[in-house]
Amino acid sequence: MSEAAPPPAGALHGIQVLDVSTSMAGAWCSRMFADFGADVSVVEAPSGHPLREREPQTEDGRSVAAEHALANKRSLSLDLEAEPGRELLRDLVTQVDVLIESFAPGTLEGWGLDYETLRAIHPELVVVSLTPHGQDGAYASLPGNSLTASARSGWASINGFAGQPPLQTSQYQGDYCSGVLAYGAAVAALHERADVGQPGQHIDISEFEVMASTFSPAALRAQYSGENPPRKETMDVTAGPVPVADGHFALTLSRAHFYRDAMNVLGLPDLAEDEQLQEGWYRNSHRELWVDRVHDAMAGWSRQDLFDELGVRRVVAGPVLAMEELRENDHLRDRGFWVRPDGHSHDGEPAESDIEHSEYSEYTGAPAKLSASPWRLQRRAPRVGEHTIELLGEYDIEEERVRHLIETGVLASEVAPSAGAPR
Amino acid sequence: MSGPLTGVRGIVLTQAWAGTYCTELLAMAGADIIQLEVRKRPDSWRGTYTTPMMDAVAEVPTAEHPWNVNPHFNSVNLGKRSFTVDLSTPEGLELYRSLVPYADVVAENFSPRVMGNLGLSYEELKAIKPDIIMASLSAYGHEGPWANVPGIGGTIEPTSGMSALFGYPDGPPMNSGQMYPDAVAGLYGFASIVTALYHRDRTGEGQYIDLSMQEANLANIGDAAMQHALLGEQRPRLGNRDLTSAPHGIYEAQPGAEGERRWVAIAAENDAQWSALCAVSARGWEGDPLFADNAARKQHEDDLDRAIAEWTASEDRDALADRVLAAGGLAAPVLDALEVAEDPVLRERGVIVELDHPEAGRWPQVGAPFHFSRTPARVERPAPTQGQHSREVFREFLGMRDERYEELVAKNITGEGPPA
Repeated sequence: MSEAAPPPAGALHGIQVLDVSTSMAGAWCSRMFADFGADVSVVEAPSGHPLREREPQTEDGRSVAAEHALANKRSLSLDLEAEPGRELLRDLVTQVDVLIESFAPGTLEGWGLDYETLRAIHPELVVVSLTPHGQDGAYASLPGNSLTASARSGWASINGFAGQPPLQTSQYQGDYCSGVLAYGAAVAALHERADVGQPGQHIDISEFEVMASTFSPAALRAQYSGENPPRKETMDVTAGPVPVADGHFALTLSRAHFYRDAMNVLGLPDLAEDEQLQEGWYRNSHRELWVDRVHDAMAGWSRQDLFDELGVRRVVAGPVLAMEELRENDHLRDRGFWVRPDGHSHDGEPAESDIEHSEYSEYTGAPAKLSASPWRLQRRAPRVGEHTIELLGEYDIEEERVRHLIETGVLASEVAPSAGAPR
Repeated sequence: MSGPLTGVRGIVLTQAWAGTYCTELLAMAGADIIQLEVRKRPDSWRGTYTTPMMDAVAEVPTAEHPWNVNPHFNSVNLGKRSFTVDLSTPEGLELYRSLVPYADVVAENFSPRVMGNLGLSYEELKAIKPDIIMASLSAYGHEGPWANVPGIGGTIEPTSGMSALFGYPDGPPMNSGQMYPDAVAGLYGFASIVTALYHRDRTGEGQYIDLSMQEANLANIGDAAMQHALLGEQRPRLGNRDLTSAPHGIYEAQPGAEGERRWVAIAAENDAQWSALCAVSARGWEGDPLFADNAARKQHEDDLDRAIAEWTASEDRDALADRVLAAGGLAAPVLDALEVAEDPVLRERGVIVELDHPEAGRWPQVGAPFHFSRTPARVERPAPTQGQHSREVFREFLGMRDERYEELVAKNITGEGPPA
């Protein structure tokens, strides 16, 4: 029997990250670091990361959001409200490459842990700040979340129907987008550090600015046209999915041949041949000529049949899929998208009772497949303080100090210090 | 340019939004991004050659070619150079190949078969430049049963599970107001390429990146997938609500000066924010047992939303948001697209920039969303016009003389606008 080659190391192998953030944005940023090979520790209060309070929860009180976003990391439970906790963090930060934080601007300064102070003792450090509105400017101190980012970035103004309230982007979208952008920016800083031999730096990411960046086409369209892009008047095929026999289906018709072929598949040859309707801009301003007839024709089709018929003709189209359908989807299965943490990837299906436990539950996989330094999920989400002793051992913190901090409630650990042989 | 990616060069074949946003982020972080365009089939975000100009930009005296003043293209290609090559001719293909040695990164978002058919697969590019990083952003990835199924943001939203989550609680699944999955794919494309650059810094090794827009977007709703995995349930459409806390909504305020409808976002993620809201509204909510704590507010969220909407209807959007924020609550005005460009903080922090475009003129638009303390990202170039830098690029890397360039233009291998 030949042994399988070890999986290639992630691109960030050897990079140490401390994540003291308390938001989904920060958690997703550090999750990306972990997924691409960095050694990430989530530094959470003894009361637990705030994501652990989020709904929905499993019967045994685990938050779905935390199980997802804290995976692949180890947990060091440390009270930053107490000065000895901050002192310990300062000692740890000098040993890492990246610190991720999401406190209100000025908070770290008040604790003597701001970038300028840290830089003086550890110039190579990269600090990533992820906040609702950035480190300076008139909104810096204001609270915010994904809802307010949708509001201030312009997204809400174009989402939803004209007769109803504007809609936020889906849950946590401001957080996810900010997390991945912050991750990319931080790795760019590590690249510059490695390539040019320069010190680290401070990266300031504002969640509402990130969403404004993803809004940029509509923003410039408003300038060039002189008016705001409206919310859709009705749900029609030019705006998104419309009803078919067994659900909803989107047909985007963004190129002339998509339109012609789709009309023919739908049994509407006169529309397919209409010369004026070949141009997208003309179709959009003369919807009364074709949209209702297309809806009527689509209503008789099943999602799969329509997807197959249009796919053969290379017409861009897509069914609305629910999560259950995506988890069973042959294409995603074939690509190995759904993953269990390493060591829990059974060949067969896990027993029914195991599915409840996140060790065995399936996570969304790689957002991109990198051939030489792949994405990898190695750990389920940690319990609060699961790795406190192990990590402090690795950071060479004296056992006596650890014991004292545990006794005084500054550190929380699942295991007693004496039991904690590092590694 | 002074961003952290200064010195990195991408010679890319990105188009529409996902790919161009990915490479625009690289450009805004300091990379030299040179974008290949094809005259025979202009980038769909330039429109077709006959798409009319939009009203306001049409009044700009220099606005001459509709494809150079399309807001879609011009919004997602800041900081780049553009050159044109007809890749369907052997001469054009050779021209592109001869530029590959000067690239660190090649990115593309064609349908999966296109690059291979052109002889520009990863293996072929690697033979020219051994440490090349190549990123393909496609609808469903380059392998698997759906690899050749075409898709764009408007269909990836449904097929990634996003549409099923998006919409009003009592309404149908919806798509966002503009193809949001493209932006998500662009963000992950950017992050992936930078990751590959770092890997190359340490090992000297390039690699291939296969990004499926469907997968990137599913990863971006991974907690909803986890909800299904752990609890066996589909997350319902939430509208403007939150899974955990209430209130959390968008409420109608007084109409604006021209009678337009205006809206304000209000939420309370903790008791302090709720107390602030009670104090500002002065409607006695703090004493109402229906709203006693978050669990009660969540249970009676319809009543709560009605009460808040009754209050906000006669309030000025901005003044109300300011008062709630000043009291320690959570609120924000719902800005429309023209207002976003005027936002004082976006302007002060340099996120809204004004750049002189050769044809479109000067307009406020959204620039770099990251702030680096030591290597600031400065956006200095507007989006290029089609083929604006062809001559410059060929001269810079290939030492091409003007006669040769003119010859290529005469053959429609490079040049600008609809091929003769």
